[in-house]
Amino acid sequence: MSELNASLVPQLPIVGVDAHEPVARKPTDWRTGSMQGRIRRRYAAERRFRLIGAGAVVLAAAFLAFLLVTMFANGLRGFTRTEVALDIDFPRSTLIVDQTAVQRFGEQGLAGADLQGVVAAAANARLGPGGAALLSDGAWVEVRRAILEDPAILSGVHRFELPAAAAIDVAAKGDGAADAEVQVARLRERGLLSTGFNGQFLTGADATDPTAVGIWGAFKGSLLTMLVTLALAFPIGVLSAVYLEEYAPRNRWTDIIEVSINNLAAVPSIIFGLLGLAIFLNVMNLPRSAPIVGGLTLALMTMPVIVIAGRNAIKAVPPSIRDAALGVGASPVQVVFHHVLPLALPGILTGTIIGMARALGETAPLLMIGMRAFISSPPEGLTQPATVLPVQIFLWSDEVSRGFVEKTSAAIIVLLVFLLAMNGIAIYLRNRFEKRW
Amino acid sequence: MSITALLLLILGLGAVAWFAGRTRAAAFAGSGRERAHSLPNYHGWYAALWAVAPALLFLAVWQATSPALVTNAVLADPRAAALPADPTLRGPILAEARDLAAGRVQAAFNPQAEALAPAYADASSRYGLLGLVAAALLAFAGGAFAFLRLRPDFRARTRVERIVMGMLLLASLIAVLTTFGIVASLVVEAFRFFAQVSPAEFLFGTHWSPQTALRADQAGSSGAFGAVPLFWGTIFIGVIIAMTVAIPLGLMSAIYLTQYARASTRRWMKPLLEILAGIPTVVYGYFAALTLAPLVRDLGLTLGIGGASSESALAAGLVMGVMIIPFVSSMADDSLAAVPQAMRDGSLAMGATTSETIRRVLVPAALPGVVGGALLAVSRAIGETMIVVMAAGLAANLSANPFASVTTVTTQIVQLLTGDQEFDSPKTLAAFALGLVLFLVTLLLNVIALRVVKRFREAYE
Repeated sequence: MSELNASLVPQLPIVGVDAHEPVARKPTDWRTGSMQGRIRRRYAAERRFRLIGAGAVVLAAAFLAFLLVTMFANGLRGFTRTEVALDIDFPRSTLIVDQTAVQRFGEQGLAGADLQGVVAAAANARLGPGGAALLSDGAWVEVRRAILEDPAILSGVHRFELPAAAAIDVAAKGDGAADAEVQVARLRERGLLSTGFNGQFLTGADATDPTAVGIWGAFKGSLLTMLVTLALAFPIGVLSAVYLEEYAPRNRWTDIIEVSINNLAAVPSIIFGLLGLAIFLNVMNLPRSAPIVGGLTLALMTMPVIVIAGRNAIKAVPPSIRDAALGVGASPVQVVFHHVLPLALPGILTGTIIGMARALGETAPLLMIGMRAFISSPPEGLTQPATVLPVQIFLWSDEVSRGFVEKTSAAIIVLLVFLLAMNGIAIYLRNRFEKRW
Repeated sequence: MSITALLLLILGLGAVAWFAGRTRAAAFAGSGRERAHSLPNYHGWYAALWAVAPALLFLAVWQATSPALVTNAVLADPRAAALPADPTLRGPILAEARDLAAGRVQAAFNPQAEALAPAYADASSRYGLLGLVAAALLAFAGGAFAFLRLRPDFRARTRVERIVMGMLLLASLIAVLTTFGIVASLVVEAFRFFAQVSPAEFLFGTHWSPQTALRADQAGSSGAFGAVPLFWGTIFIGVIIAMTVAIPLGLMSAIYLTQYARASTRRWMKPLLEILAGIPTVVYGYFAALTLAPLVRDLGLTLGIGGASSESALAAGLVMGVMIIPFVSSMADDSLAAVPQAMRDGSLAMGATTSETIRRVLVPAALPGVVGGALLAVSRAIGETMIVVMAAGLAANLSANPFASVTTVTTQIVQLLTGDQEFDSPKTLAAFALGLVLFLVTLLLNVIALRVVKRFREAYE
């Protein structure tokens, strides 16, 4: 042992006494000009490097700010609409229904009424020739709604605030074509223009006219899709995480499962779309464009995220908890389901919410399974054609009409708000319930 | 009877079995004669599982087979005698009759379908009733069987736990099944594609024009499937441009946040940058197409560069790079943190400034981790779809001009598979071949990256 240690000690060269004196090393003179210059250069390099680092952070943050500001600047206008005041004199119009019929029969009383013609005629009369073109195509629907709410207005002149046509709407918000600008100026002079909250945008579905579009249809599609995703990915993800972390024997099968979960987490999302198209649509013949297929596809994509988060959460539960439970006679299944899982649940939920937020923003795989159709009414069930928020944004971004620009940005705002809320909940859960053992 | 109602019925029977089993177990556990092996809950679960599981299995099988049974019954009906014998003619009529019987359509296009609808309605209600009765009987029989087995010395807990373990194993096998499904669907469709287009032409051809003609005599109808311009476009946008943005910015911001920034700055700056990773890609795509692309085009025109297009590689690549920043940054962060403190202290003790320590000691020591992170980022970038679909264009150019329009693998997959499609044309199958290439490349990148990172971690542990 001692020999070995001796061999490890570096042998100093034996300096003979008769060797010539070593040259005394002169201490560095830090005050010379060249030395001072060197130090300055090194400190300058240090400052530069630090500045570059700060610059990188600021640049990234500035890009984020630029992106968000652009979206909000464009999008907030999407929540408002330009309204044109229009007086309709019902007794003198060509409308053949009267108040009592509507009061008695409701919607059926209005069945044969040419409200569209009445509104167009009133617009042409009050706003000058071509006045009907100033109003949105869906303006008469609002008149109809107002009449159903209060049939008494049929007996006289009533002033409506009706949505303006897309071109007028864009021009009134300061970004329109020249002729529309002229029209807007004329209407404004007469005090007929006003700006109101666009309720249609939050309650309607897709439409060809940008003044009539809404996001509720796409939002409901997203909700249904997420419901399917959660119902499948959460139980499967948690159960796999429990199995892999607590019970799986160390063998080749377990390795295969682990490798495939880790790979699935890194597979590009569009590949899941191809899987959905080939398996769910072409082999299993599930309905195209349906939330159930979208949910299945996204569930396969989200599951690995939940498994990985779940495993980390379960791993963080200290072994003493398991030992204590086993010590008082719990079975291995009872240990996990009565003790480990409840303690790991906040971590699992955090991972699940983050995974769901990712799924909510996902577009590409859903394009593959046909969720890009034009859907003009909210889906009623899991097997009906639907679209989702991100896909709706993609579809609107392709529209030529200028009116869609602000609607697209407004939809993006809604999507971002939801994602932010989900991430906020995840962070809150993590901070509130995470235990450090 | 709808499937939902049937499911609720079975679950209801399961609940009844649970209560019955539990009550019975509680009765013999409470009598004080003999200690039961399992708690009453487990007896309840045992009965419930026996009531629900066989019925659900039956329902799954029934759901798959009953449409065929219904069709057979309709065909055997005298009202179906007038149908053409050719299955390709008969199919649409049957489908229409089915929709009519289910109330999905109001009026039939084909009078034969109209006549057949009542037969369809009869048969499907008959088989629906049969399925309902069988499922209910099965649930009842299962529950009764389990109920009758319950005794104080019956090992209900062991049985239930064995089933739980089976479910756990089954759940974790779904990941393997998914991987298998991806590989199988991609390989099968890609092989069908390669039966029509040679792999050599696909992988090395430089002309991409997947339009196949509607008529045989149409000009330019052949369709060319040389994917090299696509691969080039993907590499150009996802690797060259995006990484030029993401790696310096990501690495430098990681260095700044871990080495220079105060803890309080770091605490809110890091999540802020991570928001960049949480923004949906469709938002980035919209931003690239609407805001950045016109700027880039104007810049190209001012610089006098030819071929400046409003769908430029530069706009897509820049935005993609920004999206990847947090990814690179967090990987670099981890690798820098893994370098032992002693190395940093040693360098600082020798009189090196902080930046010299970072450049000469920390980054070289963390390099494998950073490279691994960069590889993962590349695999992210080339699989990214929406940004390039919205901002990069469709022209398959082999051009290194960042202001020109190039197309990528993912863009073409989306392009080939959206809209009207017949599933056997090489055009649609080409998307699966591209998907296979994409899958293999990202898989390879991930495997290499994880191996590099793992070896790096081991070096310091």
